[in-house]
Amino acid sequence: MSGYTEGIIILLCINAIAAMGVSVLTGFTGIFSLGHAGYMAVGAYTTAILTVEYGVHYIPAILLGGAMAMVIAYVIGVPTLKLMGDYYAIASIGLGEAIRLILENWQSVTRGARGYPGIEGYTTLYVSLAFFAVMAFGMFNLINSRFGRAFKACRDDYIAASLLGFNTARYRILSLVISAFYCGVAGALLGGFLSFIQPIMFDMIKSTELTSVVVFGGLGSMSGTLLGASIITLVTELFRPISQYRMLIYGAILVLIMVIRPEGIMGQYELGPRLFRRLKDKFSFRNRDNSEGRSS
Amino acid sequence: MKRVGIVLLVSALVLSLGAGAALAADTIKIGYLAALTGDWAAYGQTEEKTAQLAVDEINAKGGLLGKQVELVVYDFRTRAEDAVNAVRRLAEEDKVVGIVGANGSGINIATAPLVNRYGIPQIGTVSTNPFVTVDKNGKVRPYSFRVCFTDPYQGKLIAYFSAKELGKMQAAILYDVGSDYSQGLREFFMKSYGEYGGEVVADLGFRAGQDVDFRAQLTEIRDKKADVLILPNMGKEMALIMKQARELGMDDIVFVGGDGYAEFMWEIAGDSMENSYWINHVSPDDPAMAKFFADYKAKYNDECKEFVNGILGYDAMYLMFDAIQRAGEADPKLIAKALSETKDLQLHHAVITMDEFHNPLDKDGIIIVAKDGHGQFYMKIKPE
Amino acid sequence: METLLQQTINGLSLGSVYALIAVGYSLVYSILLFSNFAHGGFLVIGGYICYFTLKSLGFNIWIAGFASLVGAGFSAVLTERLAYKPIRERTNVTLYLLIASMGMSIVIENIFVIVAGGRFRALPPVIPTHPVHIFGLATTSAFDILSLLAAVFFLGALQLFLIKTKWGLAIRAAAYDLRTAGLMGVNVNLLISIVFFVAGFLAAVGGIFLSVRYTLYPQLGMITIKAFVAAVIGGLGSLPGAVVGSLILGLAEMLTAGFISSQLRDLVVFSLLIITLLVRPQGLFGKNISEKV
Repeated sequence: MSGYTEGIIILLCINAIAAMGVSVLTGFTGIFSLGHAGYMAVGAYTTAILTVEYGVHYIPAILLGGAMAMVIAYVIGVPTLKLMGDYYAIASIGLGEAIRLILENWQSVTRGARGYPGIEGYTTLYVSLAFFAVMAFGMFNLINSRFGRAFKACRDDYIAASLLGFNTARYRILSLVISAFYCGVAGALLGGFLSFIQPIMFDMIKSTELTSVVVFGGLGSMSGTLLGASIITLVTELFRPISQYRMLIYGAILVLIMVIRPEGIMGQYELGPRLFRRLKDKFSFRNRDNSEGRSS
Repeated sequence: MKRVGIVLLVSALVLSLGAGAALAADTIKIGYLAALTGDWAAYGQTEEKTAQLAVDEINAKGGLLGKQVELVVYDFRTRAEDAVNAVRRLAEEDKVVGIVGANGSGINIATAPLVNRYGIPQIGTVSTNPFVTVDKNGKVRPYSFRVCFTDPYQGKLIAYFSAKELGKMQAAILYDVGSDYSQGLREFFMKSYGEYGGEVVADLGFRAGQDVDFRAQLTEIRDKKADVLILPNMGKEMALIMKQARELGMDDIVFVGGDGYAEFMWEIAGDSMENSYWINHVSPDDPAMAKFFADYKAKYNDECKEFVNGILGYDAMYLMFDAIQRAGEADPKLIAKALSETKDLQLHHAVITMDEFHNPLDKDGIIIVAKDGHGQFYMKIKPE
Repeated sequence: METLLQQTINGLSLGSVYALIAVGYSLVYSILLFSNFAHGGFLVIGGYICYFTLKSLGFNIWIAGFASLVGAGFSAVLTERLAYKPIRERTNVTLYLLIASMGMSIVIENIFVIVAGGRFRALPPVIPTHPVHIFGLATTSAFDILSLLAAVFFLGALQLFLIKTKWGLAIRAAAYDLRTAGLMGVNVNLLISIVFFVAGFLAAVGGIFLSVRYTLYPQLGMITIKAFVAAVIGGLGSLPGAVVGSLILGLAEMLTAGFISSQLRDLVVFSLLIITLLVRPQGLFGKNISEKV
């Protein structure tokens, strides 16, 4: 395999892990975030500092990076997740930017905007594939478990879910913490892929990219998220020869998919026998989409 | 509708792939990393143009080693993760013999391990961070080079000029917290300025992109009675700072800035620019560069206002050409060796000798003074 | 004391520019209940139209300004027709509109990257910027006074439009309940077009002022994030809220930078945002929303 393909696959795995994290929060629990690059940054910096300064092996360091992101998410989530809908989304912009600002200003630890060099290049093809496989396996199990159903209940009808005895506030925080772990690990892998991190890599553009991927693939569909992450990563890569037009096309695709199929490529369906049964009866499939009203 | 869209998308993807593979003639390929979209687009687009100008010139003269030169430019939309895959593509699909760019230290540091693994030389154009050419243990990276001077050196030049030439000992500094370039220059300026006996009376930050109003910081600088304001930033921010400073009635303070100086700043800051000093690699009125500016204008019907990026991109290409010529064959390893042996090479803007850390050795600092509506050569300095 | 006065003036003039942008945001939000991230794009469109009519076509500032305001207004309407209308007709999930608006902002930014290039451009000094001394206590630029006046003028005109005209009444009704307004015979599509036109129009006013003051480049729309924060602090969907929020934000920024730490300026902005959301999510002047959705 050529190194170029390898590079694309590694980036794909990293993007997919981060997107899965955002997906469980946005697609499954109905909490819209525009600040998840912040958790990637926490994971990346924690892992970088652990491996470089303390000589920790990269695997525990990556996991600790994810754990650190979880801790931060918990601390942030408890007060802010009381906010619903757009309001949390707006708050999350502030939260993500605040994390980046702290990284820029805390120069004694993070070396500020000049970046953190000399990270070991631990994110090889196999490491990233292994992380992706394990985390995807975990994620698909999670969304089909009791927790996954509870998340969806919070998303679909918050009030009904709490009347049914779900501790919705707890599930919302749990969902955020899990998503932060995924993003933290993705950030840590990105650090190992680039051997160098800077706060600017985790700006709001990165956050919106993550959320766009999830909406693009289909809210409430984990396979859609993976498909969305693959398409977006490949589109930017394949259009490389027409460099200046690349971002224009990216933006246009985003708008087009929302206009043509707002529920995303996969809608709420997963790749599997159920989807094929639906595809057979295409007519009713279309009707279903149009009457969909999964608003928050 | 939906199907048509998907078909169009897929065919566009296939076409773009095919187009990339079809261009495999017998040429020497040089890769170029430039931010053509995003925040640095103004600079990246200029570099792309001047690099192409250099390639056209060398091809008109018969190319290198009897072959034509082909430039492969990739955008990295200011993101390191995009740049590393661009480098992988340049190395493996396009099989370039060398890479020039990127216009940003962070990008160069992220791509450095990769080019060193592939064994393809990369020349940074305006990448001034020391870690571009050395790793964190201070060991030189064999395939990483730069054509500009480094942050520590430029910081020292600014300090030397302010303290020794202008005799200003009460400096204020206003830097971009979010920029590696700006933070680096500030750090090294403060260190050297102290050694020259100067005192930094105000050390203030801002964040480019979202902050466009600097009057709060300027008001404080005014109150601290600084006699020189050090601006280690990009052109747009420096222009705005100067304009706002004069609006606040700060008429006496002298502006000294780094190589972010660009001619478009005059459009923004107007008369506020007058009598400001800029440490730079080259002066826009340097007679040696006149032909470059004329050719640029003839080819693109536009002024080369981001001239630092333009000239460094242009001369980085010539540095690469020279190394390819001396290497005798289009082999990346020999080219890297030739690059590291570069000695007294007359480029357009300077004479370059590579030191052991792949930085140009003791490049002269050029001081540009802003006068009568444009930047003019003021003096050359070499700090003690 | 002098410094305090100076920083207050600085803050108010910054706030007035935020206000012009924030009001457009709020207006769209009040009708469609989504944050239009393409709003910054309208501002950029306005700036470039003004720039090119001034520079290439050689018109004076009044014609250029008029062309720019109307042009930006129509681009806003066009954006709504192309990208948002199909979505809002199919679903009531505002999230999709949000993503589409992000896509549109990328599209607009990159159209200008390609067509006009990434270079930073400055409008000719059509608006005076010479220093003005206020009673010898503080110094500000003539520009700031003008931008403050322009903000007051346009926001006042908007208020009159909303109160005195039939369409203004319809807009206020629709802000209360779009569906019911539609049932009462208001032409909803036309109404939304008018709202977008007004939003684009005001954004272009902000765009011209910003590009005179802070240069014009394709990514200029990014700074609207601050105006957006201001709109939230004031209460999304509330016009007086947007104005007050903008002034508070401008002051907070300047006073933090001046008296606490310039490095922490943005941190204060975002903390202000989060604290507002936690303590009073509907903002200072927002409608009391029962479900906070």
